[in-house]
Amino acid sequence: MTKMASDTPRVVIRGAEVRLGGADGVAVSGADLSLRAGRVTALLGPSGAGKSTLLRAIAGLERLHAGEISSDGTVWSGPGVHLAPERRRCGVVFQDFALFPHLTAMQNVAFGLRHLSSDERRQRVVESLEAVELTHRARAYPHELSGGEQQRVALARALAPEPSVMLLDEPFSGLDRRLRADLSAMTLDVLRRSGTASLIITHDAEDALASADEIALMERGTIIQSGTPDALYLAPASESAARMLGDAEAFAGTVEGGMVATPLGVVAASQPDGSAVSVLVRPEGILVGADDEGAAAARIVSRRAAGPVVVFLIELAPGGRVTARAPVSHRAKAGDTVSLSLDPAFVSVVSG
Amino acid sequence: MAIADTSTLHRKLTGRTGLHPVWLAAFAGLLCAAPLLAVVWLGMSGAWSDYLIHIANTRLAEFLINTAIVGLTAALLAGVIGTGTAWLVTRHVFPGRNLFQWMLALPLAMPAYAAAYGWYDLTQGAGPLGGLVPAVHGPFGAGAIFGLVFYPYVYLLARESFSAQSADAYDAARTLGCSPFQAFARTALPMVRPAIAAGLALVVMEALADYGTVSHLGAPTLTVALMRAWAGEGSIPDAARLAMLLVSISFLIFMAERALRRRARQTAASGHVRAFRRQRLSPLAGMLAVLACLLPVLMGLVIPAARLGWRAAYTPAATGLMDAAVNSLTLAGVSGLLAAGIGLGLAYAIRTRKLAGRASARIASMGYGVPGAVAALGVLIIFGGVQGWLDTLWRGMTGSPFPLVLTGSALALIFAYQARFIAAAIGPSESALSRVTPSLDAAARTLGARPLTLARRVHWPLVSSGVALAGLLVFVEVLKELPATMILRPFNMNTLAVTAHNFAADERLGQAALPAVLLVAAALPAMIWIARRITATERSRDTVPPSEAIPGLAE
Repeated sequence: MTKMASDTPRVVIRGAEVRLGGADGVAVSGADLSLRAGRVTALLGPSGAGKSTLLRAIAGLERLHAGEISSDGTVWSGPGVHLAPERRRCGVVFQDFALFPHLTAMQNVAFGLRHLSSDERRQRVVESLEAVELTHRARAYPHELSGGEQQRVALARALAPEPSVMLLDEPFSGLDRRLRADLSAMTLDVLRRSGTASLIITHDAEDALASADEIALMERGTIIQSGTPDALYLAPASESAARMLGDAEAFAGTVEGGMVATPLGVVAASQPDGSAVSVLVRPEGILVGADDEGAAAARIVSRRAAGPVVVFLIELAPGGRVTARAPVSHRAKAGDTVSLSLDPAFVSVVSG
Repeated sequence: MAIADTSTLHRKLTGRTGLHPVWLAAFAGLLCAAPLLAVVWLGMSGAWSDYLIHIANTRLAEFLINTAIVGLTAALLAGVIGTGTAWLVTRHVFPGRNLFQWMLALPLAMPAYAAAYGWYDLTQGAGPLGGLVPAVHGPFGAGAIFGLVFYPYVYLLARESFSAQSADAYDAARTLGCSPFQAFARTALPMVRPAIAAGLALVVMEALADYGTVSHLGAPTLTVALMRAWAGEGSIPDAARLAMLLVSISFLIFMAERALRRRARQTAASGHVRAFRRQRLSPLAGMLAVLACLLPVLMGLVIPAARLGWRAAYTPAATGLMDAAVNSLTLAGVSGLLAAGIGLGLAYAIRTRKLAGRASARIASMGYGVPGAVAALGVLIIFGGVQGWLDTLWRGMTGSPFPLVLTGSALALIFAYQARFIAAAIGPSESALSRVTPSLDAAARTLGARPLTLARRVHWPLVSSGVALAGLLVFVEVLKELPATMILRPFNMNTLAVTAHNFAADERLGQAALPAVLLVAAALPAMIWIARRITATERSRDTVPPSEAIPGLAE
């Protein structure tokens, strides 16, 4: 049990429900999520899924209508309980950074440090700005900072009071692509070193897969699946969960004798016989072989190189098209007749 | 690309190659700067006359103290009312909130001197409130009147600033350990401070420029000293010297506000602004909020206007009011149209991004810092000089003086109005024109629109309502204007403002009431339209934010 102690979640959200007034309706309904110290969780989902609302509920900026949010045994939000945001020790990096325009970078970082003596405060401000490599811009006002610098100040400001949880709402969305990669690496490094539990909202799957220790997928107000990036990629719990993290082919079928038939071959299924299922296959799981292997005959419609991989658009003999991905060294070209088979590691069968 | 397009456009529009918008801008800049330059030139030349030495030794201190008291009282009252009501309507939900959004701006339709007549009549010894409340009199009374009629400047700018604030800043403060009150005091208030300062600068400049109120309430300020030097002593050089003093104070305020704004540019760095969710007030608190929003409108507009209306109803109307009303409306209408046209030209000049155009527009926009009496004095000096020169020329040719076409006509008045109020017309036009992006021009041109078609089908629909707003703002201002009109009006030409002032100066408030009420009646519909336009919350294509519609603030 002691071995598990570090795995005890810092923040636990159970059945959270938030209703916003007016046309927005129920923004979060029955969301479950755990955040662990020292780990970065990416919250991924389409816009309007309720990601920001859930983040605001954790920070105490929205009230829960049902469910519970607790941290280290203290209930933050729950039936009849609502701890004020200023008492939760949540660091928040807002989407527009929300820097105070009337304060310099330094004063922004010092804003949440009123409880410290002035020496300690100065010390902490310097450390925080050092962590984001911005000491030389300490006296600049927000409008004098570039977008990336503003993001770093916002990060430093949120981290300076040593929060127990860091919440970041699309922190890189306003920045250009190259800057984003650098900043994202720095941000993750700073977050992991700080040892807090972190939640980053993003709508970029690649971002989430590359950066997070854990991913939670959100759709229509609920968390539909959470886990490590590779587990989520290889074993999605539903078709929409699969599509959030990348391309996938889905074949509808019925389980018969523990197996389900697809145009690309037969796949083992754990669902009871007779149940309708979906077979989800990642493009990497569709193996393009020579014609003579004779599994499922198909014809390549187009071949498109995309960096290290090639993407084949393939027409199946019974009709329908699938996309397959293979290393760029693959020799097949448009017009070739090929045989297709499945790599079980990239296949999952879900109830459809 | 856009520059070339605009200049071609103007060439096609005018049928001449000479009239580039920058030339128009330079002309407008000159128009606004000339009266002030004339005042400075006359003020600096010649010796200090006996009169000026006399008042410097005796009454100048009183004038200055009165000016300070009036300005500070007005600023304090306008600041509290304007900021408080702006905070109420932007952050709370209570009955009538949508109505108050624009109604709170309406006291701007009330000439300050008319409010002074109404309140003085109510609170003097024999009035219905006499003895119950202190009589509205003296510098503090005048300051209170200015606070009540000019607070909308602060309200409009603070309201815009409050609603432009992203709720994220407030939320960020909460997550960083601030209680709701601390978050308001440490983030929302400092962020709205430049807007309040800009509003207060306008309030104080208006109070400094006023003549009717302070002379009626017995609080002689520098403007009164200037008017007395001109009317009582008949000495234009003395008046010019006092005018220089007045203008320096006004410009000091103007520059201080500019400097403050430049240091703290308060726009959110990124485009994303999450709006505040307004807090629903409990029924009791809601009633208090309604009261807090209703009182300024009642006290700044409804009560004094009602009192004047009541007095007018029981007093036989003076003769010549019809002519005065026609004169007022004609002067205000012509000035409004002219200013709207010149303002649009200046907006085009700013759009060319040529330094000369921008500089001219900047100079023209400073005209608002020149009090009306000073602008009028300058026009008087210029026209007097030109008239003298023409006389000499004419006499040499015919032996008789040149007819009084300049100083004796309404031309001088229109000149002074333009010099003072063009600033009010630049902002709305510029704001409207900023929606006509270079890419719109390009798109229209590639779709086959010739320059004239482009102007008619793209530019005009986008800018027309901004131009109308500019014209109406100047219309209302000219209707209310008093000191410049008194100085420059031709013989036998009365306006409603002058008529009201003359009766009031003779202690005949009953007779003064009707012209004052007529002024309010003429200004109110225009002001309602303006108020609704500049407080419209939707980002519709017709919206002009107050910071761009209120004179003197356009960059």
